[in-house]
Amino acid sequence: MKPSTPTLVSLSTIQADGSRKFVHPADVHGSFTTWRRVAALVLLVIYIALPWIQVNGFPAVFLDVQERRFHFFGLTLATQDLWIGFFLVTGLAFGLFYITALFGRIWCGWTCPYTVFLEQVYRRVERWIDGDGTARRQLEDAPWTASKIARRVFKHGVFIVISAAIAHIFLSYFVSIKSLYDMMKQSPMHHTLAFGVVLFLTGALYFSFCWFREQFCVILCPYGRLQSALTDDNSVVIGYDKIRGEPRGKGTVEKPAGDCINCRRCVQVCPTGIDIRNGLQLECIGCAACVDACDDVMVKLKRPKGLVRHDSYKGLQGAKTKFIRPRTVFYTVILFVWIAAFSVAITRISALRASVVRMGGASFYVDNGMIRNQFQLRIINKRNAASTYRIQLVGNVPPSLQIIGVDQTINLPAMGEDQKTIVLTLPQADYKERSKFTIKVTDIARGDTSETRVMEYLGPDPQAAPAAKLNAKDFIH
Amino acid sequence: MKPSSPDNGPVLREHTYDGIQEYDQKLPNWWLFTWYITIVWFIIAWVAYYQLHLGESGPEQVDKALANIKAVQLKELEKLTDDKLWEMSQDPKIVSAGAATFATTCVACHGPDLSAKINGVKLPGQPLNDTEWKHGGRPLQLLAIVRKGAPDVTKGMPPWEPQLGLNRVVEVVSFVLSKHKKGEPVTLTPDSPLRAGAAATATPAAAAPAAAASPAVTPAAVPPAQGK
Repeated sequence: MKPSTPTLVSLSTIQADGSRKFVHPADVHGSFTTWRRVAALVLLVIYIALPWIQVNGFPAVFLDVQERRFHFFGLTLATQDLWIGFFLVTGLAFGLFYITALFGRIWCGWTCPYTVFLEQVYRRVERWIDGDGTARRQLEDAPWTASKIARRVFKHGVFIVISAAIAHIFLSYFVSIKSLYDMMKQSPMHHTLAFGVVLFLTGALYFSFCWFREQFCVILCPYGRLQSALTDDNSVVIGYDKIRGEPRGKGTVEKPAGDCINCRRCVQVCPTGIDIRNGLQLECIGCAACVDACDDVMVKLKRPKGLVRHDSYKGLQGAKTKFIRPRTVFYTVILFVWIAAFSVAITRISALRASVVRMGGASFYVDNGMIRNQFQLRIINKRNAASTYRIQLVGNVPPSLQIIGVDQTINLPAMGEDQKTIVLTLPQADYKERSKFTIKVTDIARGDTSETRVMEYLGPDPQAAPAAKLNAKDFIH
Repeated sequence: MKPSSPDNGPVLREHTYDGIQEYDQKLPNWWLFTWYITIVWFIIAWVAYYQLHLGESGPEQVDKALANIKAVQLKELEKLTDDKLWEMSQDPKIVSAGAATFATTCVACHGPDLSAKINGVKLPGQPLNDTEWKHGGRPLQLLAIVRKGAPDVTKGMPPWEPQLGLNRVVEVVSFVLSKHKKGEPVTLTPDSPLRAGAAATATPAAAAPAAAASPAVTPAAVPPAQGK
């Protein structure tokens, strides 16, 4: 098969008739490849281990959708704390912007779960079963013999098992390992939703990593599509040193050859099938396979490394890369704003939450000279330990205002939630004006406090003497 | 302009717009395939959903589910009689569940011992530990008042069914009834709105199931809101 040269005008993974051309990257060795493998291993271990590690009696990360409690390394958040997710999302997005402006698509090649699973799990399995790039290409073109069928069945079997494992671990983040195991021992009919999720995820993962592969990074991933807006001439990306490399191959007497011998190693190892010598392209996921491949060749030729290297467009032109530029300065300022806002926000998360609403019906009642206002107080114990709470009124309230109907201390079990009816009574004679107050709930043992929003104590307008009721007859002359 | 690819690369289209030309390239087949899927899906959905009316729309499903909940509740309510509620008041499981609800929700007005007093201070609610009732003392009348609230919405008992749900309301009524005996005399308070009606004294154990479905108490004479 004649090797086609990747160009800038067509996707090298899509043929002229629109059919798919599978990339079979050649093996590559080098420091970036090794470190990428180490990073992927660490990430995989984290992904697999988190649901198993117990902190304060809960998995380290456990998004309990059924109980609506979200556990992060011992910190338990309730649904009411979901706003903190804003910082998670903005932090993640902003972190990506920042890192992209400085170092290009480093996220994609090193830490993106898609790349980690594809490059370090599925492609490793494929390498193990089908051999290196050349062997894989030959096998693909080979006729369907018994040995090819056996290999294919085995490979896809392993792919499906791995996909199912990843899907199960994913589900365990939401239901915990223990209940996942309980569910797995029962018929799928008992847990149609959970089973459906795993089935769908397994299918999606299998399809993505078995067939779809780099098409996701090249065409679908929105982050990939944003690249050209996020990088500039000073962003450090993977680039080919044209000045040093050109002209490629054998030179002429008038025009001696550059360092690039046109061995095409960089093209052969590329997982998205591009030629990095055409410059930065949107397909490039910054995996540095071409850097390792080229360095390998340069060492053999006793030429200096770095013909393909991490550098900015400016750097490859021979100028100096400017790290401090308006874009990065702006991002740094935003970074500090984000850190400050997040630090303030995280302290606002209390292990206890009290909220109050006025009870349905009239806003106040007058009975035998007593005014009463009724409220519903909801207390949520977010700690994973039982707690005892004291209830107080805070604010400019008349001293004769009394809380009745509720004990001054309330016990809640771990992760418990309770709603109490609170009746506040005040002799009508003491009622002068509306008074504002909050209800303060204090954890007696630990000192956590939570105050409700400001409520108003209401009563009949004291100006209208209650004794002299309006009588229509008084107004008829 | 010529195609930059030397080996039979894509052809540039003639059409120029603001100096921009397009390559004539095929979409990836998989991409095209997703479009075909949507076409097939549209035909299936249009025929099945809009023409043959197979399946239900979202609002129809919700309406049906709500109607089902109502029907089940009504059925449950029809099953409830005075006798049945008395029976439930002897079930320790139901009573303890009702006691728990009472302790969080009702205690504020009716007091921990149902006397509507706490340390001698009169609480807003009616005492529930005597045989005198404002809105009728039959189990189904009690159930109605807890579910729907007092007939005079400006004061007194709020409706609890929206907050507690029917099950917990039934449990609470069972708990209150557990402090009483079946067949004990039932009288009306002097300010009872039922007094104006035909029956001055409700007779116990003469239950009509329909009484539970619609509130048994009708405001015959509504006193002014802040009359007292």
